[in-house]
Amino acid sequence: MSKILYVLDDNKNSNYKYNINEDTIIYHFSINGSSDVEINMVKEGVSLYYYYSNINYDNNSFKIKVTHLASNTHSEIFNHGVNVYNNKLTYFVDGIVIKSSSKCICNQDNQIINMNDGKSTICPNLLIDNYDVDSNHAAYIGSFKEDILFYMMSRGISREKANRLLLNGFLINSDSIDKSKIGKFIDEIKNI
Amino acid sequence: MMKIENLNVKIKDTDIDILRDFSLEIGSGEVHAIMGPNGAGKSSLSKTIMGHYKYEVTNGNIYFEGEDISNLEVSDRAKKGIFLCMQDPMVIEGISNSEFLRTARSEVSSEKVNLYTFIKDMEEVMKKVELDSNMLHRSLNFGFSGGEKKKNEILQMLFLKPKFIILDELDSGLDVDSLRIVCENINEYLNDNPETSVLIITHYTRILDYIKPDYVHVLVDGKIKKTGNSDLAFEIEKNGYSMIGNDIDE
Repeated sequence: MSKILYVLDDNKNSNYKYNINEDTIIYHFSINGSSDVEINMVKEGVSLYYYYSNINYDNNSFKIKVTHLASNTHSEIFNHGVNVYNNKLTYFVDGIVIKSSSKCICNQDNQIINMNDGKSTICPNLLIDNYDVDSNHAAYIGSFKEDILFYMMSRGISREKANRLLLNGFLINSDSIDKSKIGKFIDEIKNI
Repeated sequence: MMKIENLNVKIKDTDIDILRDFSLEIGSGEVHAIMGPNGAGKSSLSKTIMGHYKYEVTNGNIYFEGEDISNLEVSDRAKKGIFLCMQDPMVIEGISNSEFLRTARSEVSSEKVNLYTFIKDMEEVMKKVELDSNMLHRSLNFGFSGGEKKKNEILQMLFLKPKFIILDELDSGLDVDSLRIVCENINEYLNDNPETSVLIITHYTRILDYIKPDYVHVLVDGKIKKTGNSDLAFEIEKNGYSMIGNDIDE
């Protein structure tokens, strides 16, 4: 059983530091704020799933650094942002595996949806100093894919409704999220 | 029911022509099959009927039940009763099958769908197409095998009750048992709704063993080159498309 943490930042800048010594899932929701997150994987064999979702209205950034300080540790980072207006949203995502940490898995998946002509940037970095590591990154900036919208619309769903469903699914991107803990964030999605 | 008149289609923002003076009329309750070699324009035709954003109609019209739908939004075409069973259904993470279908049904019927009735109906339809009911709560087509995705397409079809069904390469990615199951469901639907018309896009005759076409058309270079009954399909399977060229090259 993993430890589950919920973090909700509402219009504020925040810093977090975690030492992961047991299997952990962190759901981090942010409404128009900048965050700086530092994570150390300190105990052999532990895993971390980090789900970050943010709704952005101004110029903001999100920095996350995951350092694998122990062997056989596993991190999966999912960062999903919606840049609503014509502002800047920047993600700095660092995955670090030190030389003495072997057999680690260090993955990151970053996506920002631009609702207008905002300037979004993703800087994915994987700094791997050990040969026996499985590590991947993905980054996407843009709007929802037209092929997906076509599929949804071909079932009678209007473009507006399809976009709304996609926004919900994109920002609440795990089936196991307890929605009662993030009511404010869910309300905010309706305002986009 | 569906009348396509002198349709010319190109890929948007290019000079690549896909369909050239393509005409086809499909009456109520009729089943038509379109066969043709790779790149003939078969799938493009199905997507054009549905209003896909990549294709531009440069001339001609598509009429559905007497109304010109050439300029309608994709969702409005679906609301009129056109259903495209896709060759490669999309995977959409974060939207569950149930959420997707419930929204689609409520949009198509313009009525709020009662949750209890919806789940009851869904369980029944899922049993019919032999899909596990747990899939209802999973993201749309996420982690589904090729066969499960196609069954899910038919599940959506049964649930949305269309008047005009386009089956685009339904048999691709389906094993024999799955093909039988989906075709049996389509046939049952057609028996219950005899006014419904079908356009089958296919490379092979395998699907035509299950769903019998009234007409078979051969599409080559964006134009229908030959029309016949189901014998034509088996003739093509035996002799290849070169026989069509020999027969009717203008």
